[in-house]
Amino acid sequence: MIFEKRTERIFLAIFFLIALCIPLFLEDNSFFVGKITTILILAVFVMSLDFLVGRVGLVTLGHALFYGLGGYLFVIITPEYEAVNFWIYAVYVMGISALIALVIGAVVLRTSGIYFIMITLAISQMAYYFFFDSLAFGGGDGLFIFMKPETSIFGLSFLNLDNPTHFYYLALLAVLITLLVIKIILRSRFGRIIEASRLNPERTEALGYNIFAFRLISYIIGSTLAAYAGLLFALQYGYVNPQFMTWEMSGTALVMSILGGLGTIYGAILGTITYEGLQYLFEHMSEDWMLFMGGAIILMVLLLRKGLAGYLEKLLEK
Amino acid sequence: MMANNILLETESLSKHWGGIKALDDISLQFHDRQLHGVVGPNGAGKSTLLNMLCGTLKPTSGCILHQGERIEGMKPWKFVRRGIGRSFQKTNIYTDVTCLENCAVATQRRFAGSFNLFASRHANKPVRDAAEKALHQVGLADRMNTIAAEISYGEQRQLELAMVLATDPCILLLDEPMAGMGHEESLRIIELLNELKKTYSIVLVEHDMDAIFELSDQLTVLDNGTHLITGTVDEVRNEPRVKEAYLGKDDDEEAA
Repeated sequence: MIFEKRTERIFLAIFFLIALCIPLFLEDNSFFVGKITTILILAVFVMSLDFLVGRVGLVTLGHALFYGLGGYLFVIITPEYEAVNFWIYAVYVMGISALIALVIGAVVLRTSGIYFIMITLAISQMAYYFFFDSLAFGGGDGLFIFMKPETSIFGLSFLNLDNPTHFYYLALLAVLITLLVIKIILRSRFGRIIEASRLNPERTEALGYNIFAFRLISYIIGSTLAAYAGLLFALQYGYVNPQFMTWEMSGTALVMSILGGLGTIYGAILGTITYEGLQYLFEHMSEDWMLFMGGAIILMVLLLRKGLAGYLEKLLEK
Repeated sequence: MMANNILLETESLSKHWGGIKALDDISLQFHDRQLHGVVGPNGAGKSTLLNMLCGTLKPTSGCILHQGERIEGMKPWKFVRRGIGRSFQKTNIYTDVTCLENCAVATQRRFAGSFNLFASRHANKPVRDAAEKALHQVGLADRMNTIAAEISYGEQRQLELAMVLATDPCILLLDEPMAGMGHEESLRIIELLNELKKTYSIVLVEHDMDAIFELSDQLTVLDNGTHLITGTVDEVRNEPRVKEAYLGKDDDEEAA
C-alpha cells in the first residue's frame, strides 16, 4: 500500500469522490468549474513543491520558474495556428523542462541551506526579468495560445479542452497521477535514500551514496511536474505571462504546502483548497482581504504546528 | 604479525588550516586483520586523520594509498565503495526510523539499484537479510523494529557500528566507539572489536587507554599534529617521549 496512513486514505477517498461528482452539480456554472480547475492545477504545483521541500529537503523559492516554463515552452514550440496533439506536446514540454532542471539543478545543488534558497530565488528572478523584457516572448503581456490542442490517443478523442468540464477532468487526472508518481517514488528504493539524505546527509554519504545525484534526480522530477502544472494553467486561460514565475507564486505555493502539512503530499491538496477557499471568502467579504488572509494564515500556522494534515492525523490515527 | 598485507597507507599526509598544522607529515601503514590504535592528547589530530582517511577532509599535501592506488582526491562516497567504512564520534544515525531501516539504508547499495524509482523498498530480501545480519553482529537483533531514537545511548553506539558493518567494508575507521559508554557496555564493545579484528582491518581512535592497550596490534601516538611513534603496545609504553607528551598528564586534560 503506497498510502500508509489511515488519514491519508480517508482524505483521498473523500476528495476524489467529491471531485469526481462536483461538475455534475455545476453543469451550467462554468465559472465555478473553471475556478475549481485552477485549484486542482495549483494543487499539482504545490504537491511537486511539497515533495522537494518536505521530502527531499530542498527548500526552493524558485519553483515557479518551472511553472512559467511549462506555459512558455508550450507556446514557443507549437506552431501558432495548428491544433497539436496535447499528449505529445506535454511530453515535449516536460522533456525540455527536465533538461533545463538538469542544468539549473547541477548549479544550485552545489549549495545548501540558506544559500540554496537564495540561489533558486535569484535564478527564477533572472528568468522572470528575461521574459518580462524580451520582445520575442511578448514582454510583460506574455504569449497567447490561439489554438487549443486536441487530445486524441490512437485516433480516439475523449476530451475537448474547450469544454470547461472536460478540462476539469484533465486537471483531476493530473492531480491523481502526480500523487501516485510522488507516492510510488517515496516508497521506492530511491525514496529510501532520499529520505535518508534528508534525515542525515552526512551519514548517508558515509554509507556510500552520492547524495548530489539523488537530489538532482529529485529536483528534475519535481520541476518537471511543476512544468506540467504550468502547461495546464496556460492552456486553461489561453495565455502565459511572466506573472507565472514571480517569487510570490513560489512563496504562495510554499505557504499552501506548509498550511497543508509539509511533506505529507496529500496535505498539499488540502492546503491549496483551504488557501484558495479562504482567499475567495475574504475577497468577497472585504476590500482589505489581504489583512484577513494574513491573519488567518498566522493563526493556522501557530495553532497547527504540523499543518492541516497533522491536525487530521492527530484526530484520526490510532 | 607484519606478514599481513598493507591495506591502507598514508604518505607524508598533512592538513594545514592557514598557518596551523593540524596534521603534519604523517606516514602510516594499516595492515589487514589488525587493529591499529591511534591515541594522543586533545588536538593531536586524531579526528583530522580519520576524517582524511574516509575522504570527508581533503589533505593539504601527501597522499592516501588504498590497494596501491591514490584515493585522497576522491569523493567520500567512493571511499565507502572501496570498502572503507567509518563510524562517527558523535552518534550519527537516522533517529526517526527503525534500527533495521537504519541498516537497510546501508545494505541497499550492495544489493539493489538505489536509482530504482518504482520497486518498493520493502520488497528486497537480500537487503533485509544483510541488515539483520549486521544487527546480529553487534548484538542488537532484539531491537530490530524499535525506532532508533528510543534505544539507549549505548545501543545507539552499537547501531552506529552495525551501520558501518552493513556497508560490507574491509577497513573500519572507528572514531571513539566507546565514548560516553558505561563500563559494562564498553566491555561488550571491546569483546566485539576483538572478534571483528579477525576479519577486518580496524583503525581505532579511542580515549579509553585500557581498551586501546588491550586491543591494539599496532599503536600510533600523535602529538600536536606530529607523528610521535608507531609500534606495538609494549614499544609505545616504554617510549620516554610518549610518557612525556601524553601519558603523564592526560587524565586531567581529557576530563576538561
